[in-house]
Amino acid sequence: MSLLHVLRRFFRDSPPEHAPDHAHPEGISCEDALRLVHDFLDGELEDTSGANVKAHFEQCQRCYPFLRLEESFRLALRKAARGETTPPDLRDRVLNVLEEAAADH
Amino acid sequence: MSADSPTASPPAADFQAEALPHLDAVYRFALRLTGSPERAEDLVQETFLRAFRSWDQYTPGTQCKSWLFTICRNLFLRERERGRRHDELVSENALAEGPGGPLANPVWLSLKETDPEGEFFDSIVDAEVLKAIDALPEEYRTAVVLSDLEGLPYQEIAEMMDVPVGTVKSRLFRGRRKLQKVLYRYAVEMGYIPAGAAEE
Repeated sequence: MSLLHVLRRFFRDSPPEHAPDHAHPEGISCEDALRLVHDFLDGELEDTSGANVKAHFEQCQRCYPFLRLEESFRLALRKAARGETTPPDLRDRVLNVLEEAAADH
Repeated sequence: MSADSPTASPPAADFQAEALPHLDAVYRFALRLTGSPERAEDLVQETFLRAFRSWDQYTPGTQCKSWLFTICRNLFLRERERGRRHDELVSENALAEGPGGPLANPVWLSLKETDPEGEFFDSIVDAEVLKAIDALPEEYRTAVVLSDLEGLPYQEIAEMMDVPVGTVKSRLFRGRRKLQKVLYRYAVEMGYIPAGAAEE
């Protein structure tokens, strides 16, 4: 199946497990949820719209993996970077440089 | 006289108190910019020296970490400009704002049935993830590092990189998609996940 075909199916067809928009009139569409997923995970949405996005992903089985996969990806990045530690003598080296600069002043 | 003697013209106390706590963060950032611990250490020293000398330009109470990041990146970019030509220049077109790809991530589309929780990420070693980040063009890498690793808001990143918020979002979008594709392909190659639609 071509990617285009997959995408077309994803947006045009509405399989039964796909929460129809009228199921949550206060909420948002699948398209909006996917568009806002980054703002949501980056903490850029206000409380109300954030709650709407969250509610959509919780209710829509079809969209849910798009949130989880994005979350897992970000966790993997953070975990990888956590392993990196500052060289123990860097602080002293920086302090020495600063002391010299202060002395020159 | 010992190096930590208090009489040896110590750097301004307020600089020490405000800027030095960000040493680890600046080092992590420098490491992602340079890709080498030695160059990162030099860049951190330069950054703090420059920051110390222009401390009077810092507005107390504003984001000190972002201020240091900005100095760090500017020094790095200037250095890079002086040395080799840009390694991987992102075309003007690619840096423009805009969606930069289909709404439904093609990589996630091929994973949503086989690994909807993204468990394959746990199998990828940290070094491989860092390698993938370091291979991103600088404009994308900086945005991704500041947002995903340092947790800075879009507005602060925009001010740091001197671009509109929309450009930050677009760089994040493209940088993350690029990374996701690289990590996905790696996982397929390693046999952590089956090849799917994104590979066709």
